[in-house]
Amino acid sequence: MRHYEIVFLVHPDQSSQVPAMIDRYRASIEGASGTIHRLEDWGRRHLAYPIKKLQKAHYVLMNIECDQATLEELESSFRFNDAVLRSMTLIKKAAVTEASVIASETAEATQVAEKAAAERSAAEAAEKAKEAASKEVATDSE
Amino acid sequence: MARHMRRKKHYAFSTEGEANSIDYKNVELLGEFVTETGKIVPSRITGTSAKNQRQITNAIKRSRYIALMPFCDAHE
Repeated sequence: MRHYEIVFLVHPDQSSQVPAMIDRYRASIEGASGTIHRLEDWGRRHLAYPIKKLQKAHYVLMNIECDQATLEELESSFRFNDAVLRSMTLIKKAAVTEASVIASETAEATQVAEKAAAERSAAEAAEKAKEAASKEVATDSE
Repeated sequence: MARHMRRKKHYAFSTEGEANSIDYKNVELLGEFVTETGKIVPSRITGTSAKNQRQITNAIKRSRYIALMPFCDAHE
């Protein structure tokens, strides 16, 4: 059993398939008595340069512990899956479980975006209320 | 005294925390060791130790492969 870190890029049009793919990989790893120590979905990120004329891709990071046969199976499944644009496997000395820099960044970004969206909707609601109030005043004066 | 004798610059890495570790995922840190065109800057310019420079070059090359960093500025 060895520790590996795997990053793979999925075609952005196929990003709805990612949870199913992860489930399949998890089944094959855990079926061979391996473990997934860290699993991160970075979501759709902008690529630093286009790959297959695509500007964006869906990134997934996995830190796993498995045997050689399972890893080979995983890598061949990446190779023959058209949705996977690229993958990288690194050998690690130990299990990594804490959140990576990119994962924490994306979490923060989504939080900020949610906050902004909430504020915007609140502002819109306030404006609508104001408009309604002014209309009411107008009808009253008539 | 030699006219061109200059004290060697030294880049201090803070060693604590994953945010400061030399890793292909840490694009922000690696960005300090490439030019605007994306080329890796030699350690004689940045003043990093040989050991750190090796780790940095490996990390940058990995980062480029999975498209977190560009190879050059002429992509697209």
